[in-house]
Amino acid sequence: MLQYWTAILTEAAIFAVLALGIDMIWGWAGDFDLSAYAYFALGVYMTMVMTIGKPQAPVVYILGWHLPYPVAVILAVVVVVAFAAIIGAIALRSLREVYFSITTLGAVWAIYYAVENYTPLFNGYNGVYGLVDPLGGGLSYNAYHYLFLGFCLLVLLAAYVVVQHLSTSPFGRMVRAVRDDERAASVYGRNVFWAKYRTYLFGAGLAGLAGGLFAAYIGAFSPLDWKPTEIFVLYAAILVGGRGNPKGVVLGSFIVYVGFVEMTRYIPSPAARPELGPALRQILIGLLIVLMLKYRPSGLLPEKLGDDGTIRRRSWPERLLRSSGTASNEPELLQGSSKDEVAP
Amino acid sequence: MSIFWISLGQGLAVAAILALSSVAFTLEYAVSRVVNLAHGEVLTIGAFAAYVCETNLHQNIYVCALVATICGALAATGLNYFLIERFRNQKSLATLIATLGASLILQNLLLIIFGGASLSYGFSQGNLLHVGPFLWTTLTIEVMVSAVVVAILIYLLLQRTRLGKALRAVSQNRELSQVSGIPARGIVMQTWAVAGAVSGFAGFLYGETVGTISPTIGNGFLLLSITAAVGGGLGRPYATLGGAVVLGLVMSIAGTYISSAYQLVVAFGFLVVMLLVKPNGIFIRGSAQTVRA
Repeated sequence: MLQYWTAILTEAAIFAVLALGIDMIWGWAGDFDLSAYAYFALGVYMTMVMTIGKPQAPVVYILGWHLPYPVAVILAVVVVVAFAAIIGAIALRSLREVYFSITTLGAVWAIYYAVENYTPLFNGYNGVYGLVDPLGGGLSYNAYHYLFLGFCLLVLLAAYVVVQHLSTSPFGRMVRAVRDDERAASVYGRNVFWAKYRTYLFGAGLAGLAGGLFAAYIGAFSPLDWKPTEIFVLYAAILVGGRGNPKGVVLGSFIVYVGFVEMTRYIPSPAARPELGPALRQILIGLLIVLMLKYRPSGLLPEKLGDDGTIRRRSWPERLLRSSGTASNEPELLQGSSKDEVAP
Repeated sequence: MSIFWISLGQGLAVAAILALSSVAFTLEYAVSRVVNLAHGEVLTIGAFAAYVCETNLHQNIYVCALVATICGALAATGLNYFLIERFRNQKSLATLIATLGASLILQNLLLIIFGGASLSYGFSQGNLLHVGPFLWTTLTIEVMVSAVVVAILIYLLLQRTRLGKALRAVSQNRELSQVSGIPARGIVMQTWAVAGAVSGFAGFLYGETVGTISPTIGNGFLLLSITAAVGGGLGRPYATLGGAVVLGLVMSIAGTYISSAYQLVVAFGFLVVMLLVKPNGIFIRGSAQTVRA
């Protein structure tokens, strides 16, 4: 039972990191991105091929390095961000709302079919495998899994602190001002594309990081493990928890993930109909999305920007993200409260 | 050169089905301003309705086509009544996400009912025929002819009937058309019924041409329909028709010279190029800086 809960909580923590990333793109910047699951998958693949060493005869994949796990994860995140930079540049430059979603939908399926059919990349349909234990097997089975759960929770905590910090920072507010009224924000001197683009890259980076964690958790990864439609679980989690509120997103991820795994455990899945359980789960996810959207679109913990009149210093993650250009020369007051002033 | 003509002939057949599917998609967008991501599932429902009709009820091909059409119409009308209309006052993105949820629900219902395996119709493919430089089967020709007939019917509906006139008015401005005494709600409903009927029929044609159907065929077809509609001009039926023909040809030629496994990749490339070069569609004059729905 303890092992079972360890597994569920580990997965939930990983998906919460992913959800935090997706929520930045959708919740803050308002871009309903359907290709984020591809960034997650790319993070998994890249971590795998950079840690498991040279491919054996029938298996083929790129790189085949033997790097230490943390280095591989960091490099994987870099690759994912670079990749998202291409997709984001295409999709965000002049396309908004529904057109943006369509482009990312096309992108994710194109990537999916390319990975599945082009074997030299990640061994195509059969996928890559072999990342069993980044610690090299020094610990017992249970001890390793507890340690890994602790590690995932720690990463989640770190990701949460950074994202929460950013969320209420001038940068977080600026991105939301852009979301709520692009024209007004650009009148106030904000670079709309640049604001959305940075948010997109940061979100994609978090997705890649979640992928790096998942690689060590699952050990083997093939196109069967990442149907692009699985991103809906995360959107359901974000909707339940509270779009745009990092606290809500983490809460929603745990509720939806643990709730659904627990609930669907009792759905009978006879051997003759193995698709029954997953299909019912998907139907429930679909229902959850539609009902939440209709009756409580802001979720359990609605978006809060800490509009209590206090002006915060720039946070360090924000200084990291901040452009050296236009925005930095203006007084902090304008930066922080532009949304309130601009709102009609 | 002969391979080129044969693939072009296949491309025309694919384009014919794609044209019907994407016109239906574009009509839905025209009246409801919604990108219906559950569109693929309406096609799938049509295809499976025909399958049940053929396998379990042993009807002939025409009855099956009719049943597919009716079921498609029912599915789309239900979708509009129970989902789209309820989200009318929300942002277009909320409706899009809701249709995504609906797509998930419908696809997995089909999966539960019919299972995940591929099924196939028992209709004969007919004889192989050389028509000019093309190589077609009798069935392919029937599919293309019926697609053209349906396209002409849609044209007549849009241009020569009261419904068509009202439909065009509603697609221009729903509130204003209501002020002029057009029952917009009813017109939207009827448009969805027509679009659903066309989709159901297209789903049946798809099953006939490709040979196998499964609950997930909607995924790929949705993407192609969106690409054709956006490439041609979203919300404009005739521009969409043109987009579908161009996309069908591009894909079949790419399928011959690159690989058929990468058809969706090619389609995505086509979509991106269209969106970057002419975001309002190839067959629409003028361009916009930022495209939003």
